[in-house]
Amino acid sequence: MSKRQVAMVFDLNKCLGCQTCTIACKRLWTREEGMDYMWWATVNTQPGRGTPRDWEQSGGGFKDGVAQAGKLPTRQDFGDAWKFNHEEVFFEGKGQSAHLQVVGEQPEWGPNWDEDQGAGEYPNAYYFYLPRICNHCTHPACLEACPRKAIVKREEDGIVLIDEDRCRGYRFCMEACPYKKIYFNHVKKVSQKCIFCFPRVEQGVAPACARMCPGRVRFVGYKDDQNGPIWKLVEKYKVAIPLHPEFGTEPNVFYVPPVAPPRYDAEGNIDESKPRIPDEYLVSLFGPKVLDALAILKAEMAKTRAGGKSEMLDVLIAYQWKSMFGGLDRDPATIEWTKS
Amino acid sequence: MLVNFVRGAPVEWLLDPDAEPWRKVSLERVALVGTPVGLQPTPAIRAAWANKHIGAVSEVQVGAVHNGEVIAFRLDWQDGSENRELGDTTAFPDAAAVMIPVVAGAPLITMGAPNQPVNTWYWRGDSDTQGRQVLSEGIGTTRTVDQTLVRGHGIWKDGRWKVVIARPMKVTSAEKVVQLAPGEKTQFAVAVWEGSNSERGGVKAFSGSWRDLVLAPAADGGKV
Repeated sequence: MSKRQVAMVFDLNKCLGCQTCTIACKRLWTREEGMDYMWWATVNTQPGRGTPRDWEQSGGGFKDGVAQAGKLPTRQDFGDAWKFNHEEVFFEGKGQSAHLQVVGEQPEWGPNWDEDQGAGEYPNAYYFYLPRICNHCTHPACLEACPRKAIVKREEDGIVLIDEDRCRGYRFCMEACPYKKIYFNHVKKVSQKCIFCFPRVEQGVAPACARMCPGRVRFVGYKDDQNGPIWKLVEKYKVAIPLHPEFGTEPNVFYVPPVAPPRYDAEGNIDESKPRIPDEYLVSLFGPKVLDALAILKAEMAKTRAGGKSEMLDVLIAYQWKSMFGGLDRDPATIEWTKS
Repeated sequence: MLVNFVRGAPVEWLLDPDAEPWRKVSLERVALVGTPVGLQPTPAIRAAWANKHIGAVSEVQVGAVHNGEVIAFRLDWQDGSENRELGDTTAFPDAAAVMIPVVAGAPLITMGAPNQPVNTWYWRGDSDTQGRQVLSEGIGTTRTVDQTLVRGHGIWKDGRWKVVIARPMKVTSAEKVVQLAPGEKTQFAVAVWEGSNSERGGVKAFSGSWRDLVLAPAADGGKV
C-alpha cells in the first residue's frame, strides 16, 4: 500500500466526448515508434463495445480476491492505427483535389467506432461518454501478474508504472488488467500504459488530459486531501464511484454517474416513472452504489432548484478552474522541461 | 553429452546449423516436459494456464561443438509454425535456451536458488542473431546481464527448427556467469517456448533434469 494516492474524478454529466483529453495525451506521450495504435486516454460512447472492443467481457482482475484468467485484445480490438494519404494531401500538391482518407485495407473497427450510437428508442434514446485512463489501482492486477516484478506502485503517490528495462514483453499484465488499459509496443517489445503524467505531477502540474479538458470534467488530487476535490466527491459526498468495482482492483479513478433527461411517454408527455438510462445498465457499469450516488446528486439538484446552496454542486460546477486540481495547479509553461 | 572439438572452425560456421562442423555431430534426443502450472510465479499466470497445456514441444535433438574458444549448442525440434513476429499483441515468438549451473548443485526446476545461480543463454526468433545472457537465483529472479556475448541463429524449414546458441567459453563479465574450458565437465538443461501456444516467461517446455556436459580437450581427435 502506498503512503498517498493520487486519483481522478470524472463528472460524466459534463463530458462532451470532444476527445481533447485523448489528443492531449496522444501528443504528449504516444507519438513514438510502436505507439501508433495506443490511446492511453480514451473516451467511448456508452452503451457501446468500448476500447478495446468488448473489454468489459475480457476477464482478468480478481473474484473474491482470487486472480482470474483474462484475454489479450488484438490490435484490431484496440482499433489499430489507420494509414492515411497524408503525403498526397499535404505534400504532393493535391490539397485541393484529394480528400484525406484511409488508404489500403479499409478498417472494420476503430478506437471510437460506435460513437454516439448508444441505445434506446426515439424519443427515449440515450447515451453518455465514458472517459477512461489507467485506474492506478490500489490492488493492481497488472502488478501482481508480472513474473518479473517490472511493474511498481509508487510509495509517494500510488502511480502504477511499468519499468521498461525489466519488462520482457510477456503481456501477462495485459491479460490480467480487467480494464484492458495496457498496450504492447511491438517495436520496443515492452508493455506501456498511462503514467498519470508523473513527471508533471512531480512538478505540481495536473495530468495533461485533466488540464486540457475544456468541459471541466476531470478532477485531480490526493485522495486524503480534505481540501481537495477528490476527498470531497468520493469520501464526503459519496457522489463519485469506481467503474466495475466487482473487478476487485480498487480503482483510483471515480465517476460521477450521468443524470439523463426524463423520458417521454407515447403522448409526448414527460414520464418520470422510470429513468431514461435504465438503472440496471448503470448498475452493470458501476455496481449498486451508482443508485445511491444518483440519488445524492438529484437531491442536491433539487435543493438548489428550491433556492438552496450545495457545496457539492459548487465543487462539481468548478467555478474556479484551478480548484479542480487539488493543488496540482502549476502552469506547465513556467517549467523548463528536459527529456532524460 | 560430449562437446566435440572442431579445430579452426570460424564462429560463423558454428552459428550456421547447415554448415560443415554440424554434419559430423550426432544429435541426442532430449525429452521435454511442460513447466508445472503450480510453479508459475504469479496467481494470474496460474489462473490463465490452469486449463491449458504447457509445453507444446515434447522433444528436442541436442548437440554441441567447440572450437577451443566458442561453444555452440544446436537444438532441433519439430514445429509446424515459424513464429518470429511480434506484430500483434497476441503474437509470441518461438524461443529456446540452454542453462548451465554457475554453482554445482544449483536446482534446475526453480532456475537456481539464492547463492546458487544458474546461467541461461537465450535465443528468440524475433531477434535471431542477438542472444541474451541471463542470470537467475530462483523463480522470478531472472536478470539479463548482457545482450552481446550470446549469439544465435535459427533456420526454420519444412516444419523443423534448427537453432544454434553460442557463447565464448571464457568471457570477461562483471557478473558471475559460467566460465568454461576445454576438457572440463559440467551440466546443462534446455528449454523451448512455442510461440503459437502463447508460451513465454515461465510457460515453456524444459528438459526436466540436468544432463552431463563434457567438453573435449582442444586437441586433434577431440576424444576425452
